[in-house]
Amino acid sequence: MTKQEAITNEEAEELRIGAFICECGVNIAGAVDCNAVADYISTLPNVTTAVVNKYTCSDAGQEEIKKAIKDLDLNRVLVASCTPKTHEPIFRACVEEAGLNPYLFEFVNIREHCSWIHMWEKEDATKKAKELVRMGVARAALLEPLQSSEVPVTNKALVIGAGVTGMQAAMDIGDMGFQVYLVEAGPSIGGKMAQLDKTFPTNDCSICILGPKMVEVNRNPNIEIMSYSEVEEVDGYVGNFDVKVKHKARYVDINLCSGCNSCVEKCPVEVPYWEFNEGIGTRKAVYVPFPQAVPLRALIDKSICIDCGACSKACERGAINMDQEDTFSELEVGVIVVCVGYDVYDPEPNHDFGFGLYDNVITTMEFERLINASGPTMGKVVRPSDVVQPKRIGFVQCVGSRDVNSNIYCSSFCCMASLKNAQLIKEKYPDTEVYIMYMDMRTPFRMYEEFYNRARDMDIHFIRGRPAEVTENEDKNIIARIEDTLTNKIENLELDMMVLSVGAVSPESTEKIRQILKVSRAADGFMMEAHPKLKPVDTTLDGIFIGGMTQGPKDIPYSISQGSACAARATRFLAQGKALTEGITIAVDEDICVGCGVCVPMCPFQALKMDDDGKLEIIKALCKGCGTCAVACPSGALQQSHYKNNQILAQVKEVFAYEEV
Amino acid sequence: MADNNDWEPKIVAFCCNWCSYGGADTAGMGRFQQPASTRVIRVMCSGRIDPLHVYNAFLEGADAVLVTGCHLGDCHYVNGNEKTELKYQFLEEMVKQLGLEPERLYLNWISASEGERFANFINDVTAKVKEIGPSPLKPEGVS
Amino acid sequence: MVEVGDKLVGYATDDEVRKRGASGGLVTAVLAAALEKGMVESVVVLKHIDEYEAVPIITDDVEEVLASTGSMHSVPVNLAKYAVDRKVAMPGKPCDIKAVIEQSKRNMIDLDNTYLVGLNCGGTMPPVLTKQMLIEMYDIDPEDVVGEDIEKGKLIYRTKDGNEKAISIEELEEAGFGRRKNCQYCQLKIPTNSDLACGNWGVIGDLAGSATFCEVMNEKGKKLIENAVEAGRIEVAPASDKAIAIREKVNGVMVKMGETTQEKVFTQMPDEERLPYYREALADCIDCGGCKLACPVCSCGDDAKCTLFHSLGDNYKMSMFHLVRLLHLSDSCIGCGQCTDVCPVDIPITRIQMSFSIPVQTKLNYKPGMNADEKPPFFEVMIK
Repeated sequence: MTKQEAITNEEAEELRIGAFICECGVNIAGAVDCNAVADYISTLPNVTTAVVNKYTCSDAGQEEIKKAIKDLDLNRVLVASCTPKTHEPIFRACVEEAGLNPYLFEFVNIREHCSWIHMWEKEDATKKAKELVRMGVARAALLEPLQSSEVPVTNKALVIGAGVTGMQAAMDIGDMGFQVYLVEAGPSIGGKMAQLDKTFPTNDCSICILGPKMVEVNRNPNIEIMSYSEVEEVDGYVGNFDVKVKHKARYVDINLCSGCNSCVEKCPVEVPYWEFNEGIGTRKAVYVPFPQAVPLRALIDKSICIDCGACSKACERGAINMDQEDTFSELEVGVIVVCVGYDVYDPEPNHDFGFGLYDNVITTMEFERLINASGPTMGKVVRPSDVVQPKRIGFVQCVGSRDVNSNIYCSSFCCMASLKNAQLIKEKYPDTEVYIMYMDMRTPFRMYEEFYNRARDMDIHFIRGRPAEVTENEDKNIIARIEDTLTNKIENLELDMMVLSVGAVSPESTEKIRQILKVSRAADGFMMEAHPKLKPVDTTLDGIFIGGMTQGPKDIPYSISQGSACAARATRFLAQGKALTEGITIAVDEDICVGCGVCVPMCPFQALKMDDDGKLEIIKALCKGCGTCAVACPSGALQQSHYKNNQILAQVKEVFAYEEV
Repeated sequence: MADNNDWEPKIVAFCCNWCSYGGADTAGMGRFQQPASTRVIRVMCSGRIDPLHVYNAFLEGADAVLVTGCHLGDCHYVNGNEKTELKYQFLEEMVKQLGLEPERLYLNWISASEGERFANFINDVTAKVKEIGPSPLKPEGVS
Repeated sequence: MVEVGDKLVGYATDDEVRKRGASGGLVTAVLAAALEKGMVESVVVLKHIDEYEAVPIITDDVEEVLASTGSMHSVPVNLAKYAVDRKVAMPGKPCDIKAVIEQSKRNMIDLDNTYLVGLNCGGTMPPVLTKQMLIEMYDIDPEDVVGEDIEKGKLIYRTKDGNEKAISIEELEEAGFGRRKNCQYCQLKIPTNSDLACGNWGVIGDLAGSATFCEVMNEKGKKLIENAVEAGRIEVAPASDKAIAIREKVNGVMVKMGETTQEKVFTQMPDEERLPYYREALADCIDCGGCKLACPVCSCGDDAKCTLFHSLGDNYKMSMFHLVRLLHLSDSCIGCGQCTDVCPVDIPITRIQMSFSIPVQTKLNYKPGMNADEKPPFFEVMIK
C-alpha cells in the first residue's frame, strides 16, 4: 500500500469540501490576502467552493455556511479563521444544525498562527495561509463522522470531604432532590472552619455560623454522612462510579453513644490535642471531637488506649465496643465532588522565623485556637513560654506563600486573617501593641478593603517588610530585625509573641484520593481544574468536580461559592439522567491487533484491558481520546478517531509543495 | 545554501491541544512576531505524537521537527507528556545515530500562557536551522 | 535434592542417547522426561536433514525427541516463535532464549508454560558460506562431512574416511568465513537467561565428550532436572570446583572476544558519513519484508506500523519501513542475526539495527531478553 493509498479515504463518496476564509475584520485581512487564499484553495482537489467572509463566526457567516451545505451538498466544511480553542464548538454546532456530522468540520487557524505573527510580511503570511488551508483541506478529506454515545447516570452523588465546601455542595445537591453520600475522613464534619475563632470581614463567630449549617447537613434527608470514613477505591466513569468506602473503627457504637462525655471524664489517658487544638490543651484516649461536632459521638484513639475498661464502665448505654473493626461500604454514584481541603503550611522543618526554636513564635492556626472562646484557654490569649498575656504581638505575613523557597503562590486569605486577628486583639486587649509585617496587603473583594481601613484606624502598626533575622532574648521575647521598606528604617522590634501567618498547602494525605480518582495535579500541588477561567470546578474527568481549597487557596465565601458551583455542575448529569461520552476515542482494528498488550498500561483512565481470551477490550466511556495508546501500539491496530495516522500524515504531506504555490 | 538568507526553512511543529497549541495562540494574541517557517499540527495530547509522524515529517522535507506539549505534571491526560518524553529519548538517540544534526529535532514544554516562550522558541530554532541549511533528507524539488 | 543455583555435571542414563549426544545427551534426556511426565505438551527440536540443514519441529513423541540429538553449528534458525501459544519445552541458544523472553513481554509466550533448556553457544555459522569454506579452506567436499567440533579455538571437521582437519577460527574469520557476523560480537555465551544452562564447557577428564555441565538457573530449571532424575533418564552430580573454574574461563575468553569485536565493528563513523552510509546500505531494499517476518522479537502480524505507512512509491530519501523498524526494535533487538540471514539482497540489517540499538540500550540501561520482569523502555509509562 502506498502512503497515498493509505491516506486516501476508502469511502467511495464524492468529497465536496466548502472552505470559508474569514477576514476577521482586519485581524486576518490586514496581513493575509484572503481572496488570494480562496482563489488558490478553490483549485485544490475536492474543494467545491471557497468563500471569503468578513466575519465567518457572525450570524451572517454561519448562515452562509449552512446555506452552502444545503445548496452545494457539501459533505465537509473547513473554516480558516481564529483558534479552535474558542470557536471550534461554535462551528461544529453550526454544521450540525445544517445536518452535517460535527466531526466533518475542519478548523484552520490563520489568525493567531499566521496574520498576527507575520503582521508586516504580507507575502509570507499569504503564502503560509495558503499552505495552512491546503493542509486543512487534505485533512478534511479524510475526516470521518463520529458519534458521542449516551450513558445512563446513577442519580446519586458522592461528596468527599465535609468541610464547609463539601457541606455546601452536599446540601445543594441534596436540596435539588438527589441522594448524597458525604464522606469525611475526620470524626466530625465541619473541617478547618470549625477551628477558627471569628471570620472576616464580619468578625462573626465561625462555629456560630458553621454549627447550624452542620446541623442542617445532618438533618437533610437526602444526605448520608459517613464520618471517620475514607474512599478506598473508585472504579467506573461518569454516571457509573463504583466506590468503596472504608469506615474506620471508632470503638464506639454511634447508634448508642449520645456524646454525653461520661466516658471521657473517666478516661485516664491524656495527650496533646493536635487534631483540633493544634497541640494546645489535651484530649483523652476516648474523646468527643468538639462540643458542636456532627455527629456528636465519642471515638477511641486505639493507638494510646491502655484497655483499662474505665470508659465501658462509665457508659450507661453500653456504647463502647473495643472489638469493633473497620467496615466497608460499596456505593454506586453518578458524580463525585472532591472537597478535601488544605493543610496550613508547616514552618517547623525550615524553622521559618524561628518557629520550632523559640517558644513564642506560633502559627495563625494556633492563634485561632488561643483566642477562641471555646478553645483550650477559653479565649484567653497567652504566650506559650510563660502562659502570660503578651503585650506586644507581631504578625508576619506570607509565611510559606509568595516565596521561591516554599510556595510561589499567594495563599490569598492570610492578609485578611491577620487583619482580623489584629482587630480581635485590639478589641479584647486594647493596650496591646500589634504589628503586621507584610510585603503587600492584598484585600480584594467586597468589604475587604474597608476591613483593612478599619484595622488601620485601630492603631495597628503596619510595617512593610519582613523580619530579616529573628532571635530570642533572655525573657523569651522575640527580637525581629526588620526594615520598614517605606521609611527605610531598620529596627530591632521586641515582641512578646510572634504569629506566623502561614499559607495553604495541598495536604499529602489527599494525594491518595487524587491518584485514586486520577485527577491531574497542578504545579503548585493542588488538584487541577479543567480550565482556569471557564471551568474552574470541573476536572478533565467527566463527572468529577473539585471545589474549595482542593483547587487552590481561597477564603470561605469563595470556597462556599465553589461548593455550590460543584453542586450545580454535578447535578446537571443527575438531572439529565444521562451523559455524553467523548466523540474522539480510540478504536482497534481486530484484524491487525495481535494482543501484545503494550497499550494497556499506557491508558491513565483504564479504558483498555485484555479480556480472558487475550483480546483487547476498549471501554469507550472511560476513553478521553488522548491517543497515547495509539503511539505505543507497534502494529498500528489502535487508531485514535479524528487524529488517525493517515489524517496526521496527510497534513504533514501538505506542509510541503513540489511547485511554487 | 547555508548562508542564503532568503531561504526559509520548513519546520513542522506538533502541538498538544491544551498547552503548546494554546501557547502558539497566546503568541499570536500577544503579536509576538515570528518567521513564517513553522506549520503547527494539532493533536489532542503530545502523547499522540508518534515517532512515525516525526520521521515522516523529515522524509517529506521538514528541516526541523518540534515535539511540544504541556509541562511535566500539567498534562491534561494525567501523564501523556511523560510518555512523550520517553518516546522522545528514543527519537533523539536515533536521529543522532542517523547522522541528522541535533538542531533539527526538539522537545519543548510550553504552557498555554507562554506565548512569548513559544515565539522565542520558533525564532531560535529557525535561526539555528537557517545556519545549518536544508535537511539532507529533504526530497529533491521540495520546498 | 537439587537447588536453584546448583552447578551439576550429568548425562543421559540411556547409553544410546548418551553416545549420540554431543556431550552426554543430558539435554535430550531432560526434554524427553519433561514430555513423558506431562510437564509440557510438546517439545521443539531440530530435525536433522544433513549437516547444513535441519528443520524445527514440534513434537509430542518422546522417541522423536530422543532421535534429535546432536548440536548443529550450521543451522542458525531462531526457535522462539515455535513456543508461541504452546506449552512446550525447548532447547535454545542464548539468542533463542532471549527472543522467547522478549516474546513473553509481548503477551505472545507464557513463560510459566515454557521450559527453556539453554545451550552454551560460541556462535553459529551460515550454511552456504560454510560449504564454501569447506571447499576453499579445508579442501573437503561438504557432502563428506560426518561431524564437527570446536576445540581450543579451532574448528574441526571429521569426514567419512575417518580423517579430521582443524583450522583456527580466527584464521577462518579473517578469511571471511567462520561464525556469523553477529555471533562474532555476541556477548551472551552461557544462556543464564534460560531455566537450565547447559553445555560442554567445564566437562573434564574421563567425562569429556560424554557429559553435560548444567547450571540450574531458576525453579523451572530445578523442576526439569528433578523430573528427569525421577524419570530415571539422567544422572547428575555436583560439578567440581575445577570444572566450574574452567567453564568460567572459557566463557570469559569468549565474552571478551565478543566485546573486542563489538568495539571494532561498531566504531562510530563520523557524523557526516553516517546518513550517506545508512541511505546507501538500505537503498538496495526490495521491500520483501523478510527481515520483519524472520525477526524473533517482533510480535506484530503482517500489517504493522512499519509496513502500513511505507511504500516504494514514496519519493523519500530513506525507507519509512526501515526507519520505523529501527525505532521499534531499538530497545529490544537481541542481535540474533536472523534479518541479515534472510535478506535476499545482503543488506547487513543486524549490523545497522545494532548500531542504533547499542546506544539506545546503553542509554536506557536495558538488556533485552535477559529478565522477563523488566519492561522494554518503549513500553514504559513513566520516566524512571
